[in-house]
Amino acid sequence: MTQIYPIGGGKGGVGKSFITASLGALLAKSGKKVLLIDLDLGGSNLHTLLGVNDQQGGINRFLDKTVKNLENTAVSTAIQNLFFISSSLCSMEIANLLHAHKLKIITAIQKLSFDYILLDLGTGTNFNTLDFFLTSNQGIFICTPEPTAIENSFRFIKAVYLRKLKHIVKRHSFNSAVKEAIIRPNHEAITSPDIIETVLKHDPDRENFLRSSLSEFKFKFILNQFRKNLDATIGDKIEDLCNRHFYSNFQFLGTVGYDVRIHDSVLSKKVFIHKYPYAPPAIDIKKITEKIINSRPSIPVTGKIS
Amino acid sequence: MKNIEELNYYEILKIPANSSSFEIKRAYQDALSIYNQDSLVTYSLFSNEERDNILKTVKEAYSTLIDINKKAAYDTILLDSGQIEVSMTSIQNQRKPPHAHTCNMTDSDNFDERARKKSRKKKIETLSNQVLSKDLISGDDLKKMRKAAGIELSEINALTKISASVLRSMEENRIESLPPNLYLKNFLRHYAKMLQIDPQKVIDGYLKNISLAQKK
Ligand SMILES: Nc1ncnc2c1ncn2[C@@H]1O[C@H](COP(=O)(O)OP(=O)(O)OP(=O)(O)O)[C@@H](O)[C@H]1O
Ligand SMILES: [Mg+2]
Repeated sequence: MTQIYPIGGGKGGVGKSFITASLGALLAKSGKKVLLIDLDLGGSNLHTLLGVNDQQGGINRFLDKTVKNLENTAVSTAIQNLFFISSSLCSMEIANLLHAHKLKIITAIQKLSFDYILLDLGTGTNFNTLDFFLTSNQGIFICTPEPTAIENSFRFIKAVYLRKLKHIVKRHSFNSAVKEAIIRPNHEAITSPDIIETVLKHDPDRENFLRSSLSEFKFKFILNQFRKNLDATIGDKIEDLCNRHFYSNFQFLGTVGYDVRIHDSVLSKKVFIHKYPYAPPAIDIKKITEKIINSRPSIPVTGKIS
Repeated sequence: MKNIEELNYYEILKIPANSSSFEIKRAYQDALSIYNQDSLVTYSLFSNEERDNILKTVKEAYSTLIDINKKAAYDTILLDSGQIEVSMTSIQNQRKPPHAHTCNMTDSDNFDERARKKSRKKKIETLSNQVLSKDLISGDDLKKMRKAAGIELSEINALTKISASVLRSMEENRIESLPPNLYLKNFLRHYAKMLQIDPQKVIDGYLKNISLAQKK
């Protein structure tokens, strides 16, 4: 069964693309068939991190119907078993993706057959990013141990969570009072306890269903650019805290150390873990890869978003 | 965000029910370090109001569990609802027939405890008889009985999973925010069971009271 992991996190420059490339390379090296898709539309640079010279593009050819199957836009990379779909040649307006196009991409991804598919997402919490993150019932968010990144991560989690709630309520037979209260346009201020309370009040039978649907979603997270002098327990603390305060499931995958050579390898367009397989961050990412391989597969998302 | 009020005090401090006072203290320090204003881990996660409420609950949990008498009373509630097992608590000795190893507990402690429980029980009985003999039962009556029994809203919430805001609406007679009658009845039943009073009387009296208020 294909495991899809969208990789997000609210803040720019925390290392989403770097981690996507490195995880992809290590999963492929352990014999898995892996596909990386650059979904940072308008800000794509995964091809650069992979050292792929992108001449023909990927997503753009699928959207303009030059290529019928998304799978056929995938190119091979320097690493065996590692495939890649780029979005670097998408038109300049691609960041404002049409709703229909977004659904087309999501549905096509859900049909692909690989061992692992990693989606490199853009920064922020716009609907495209959130919906791409919800392509799967699991996702990884990347954070760095700084207040600004932590702030954006919590904002990102809350936004994903709220969007997920809305999908669930839209897709299932909640009574009309609940639907009206939740899917009101121009009413973004509504929060998840409000929704749970609303459901409890108008449709108490469905409350448990809502809780269990939310608990199907598994967030995994990585603390990147971690420096030695920091409190090593903060990852576990965040995991614990999130499991306590959200209805979804959270797993801390580990820290990835800060290393200036990562920056240098980006500059020279080399895959870092290839060049420095024994550097501390490479070891960190190896451990994370093992955790991912050993974790229980999640049930794929069924039913379309609308 | 999940309401922390749904957790029992042991879950809030993340300790087993048979923890020593040293472990309770340490768990309390840990919880404070996570939920305090300047903690990196919870930075921006909560509004000020949410954070204040959580800290208040954490402190409540600590002050209850660190006090031997309060802890025993609290354990009894959790035991009755099956949330913890006898073997897990420090009050097991009081429930089972006395064993040889209970002799380290002084007799006077036991007498004291028993006397206190007895007089309190009497008071609760008088009050609930008084309330249940009435035709109409208001949210305020419920609240009075609950207070007399020394049960916190958060405890009812933890045991029955009825949300704290619904419980509050019930006690404050906020008719507009009450769930439909079918569910309300069920909630009242749970509530009454927690207070160990006759559920049917509570349901009848309460529903009668709100239907009268609605007609006004
Ligand atoms: N563990 C690390 N140690 C040192 N530098 C790092 C580390 N991880 C990432 N970087 C540096 O941070 C920069 C940004 O990384 P990356 O492009 O992967 O972030 P991103 O989250 O994908 O950013 P964007 O939001 O722009 O897509 C990289 O150029 C890299 O040099
Ligand atoms: Mg990136």
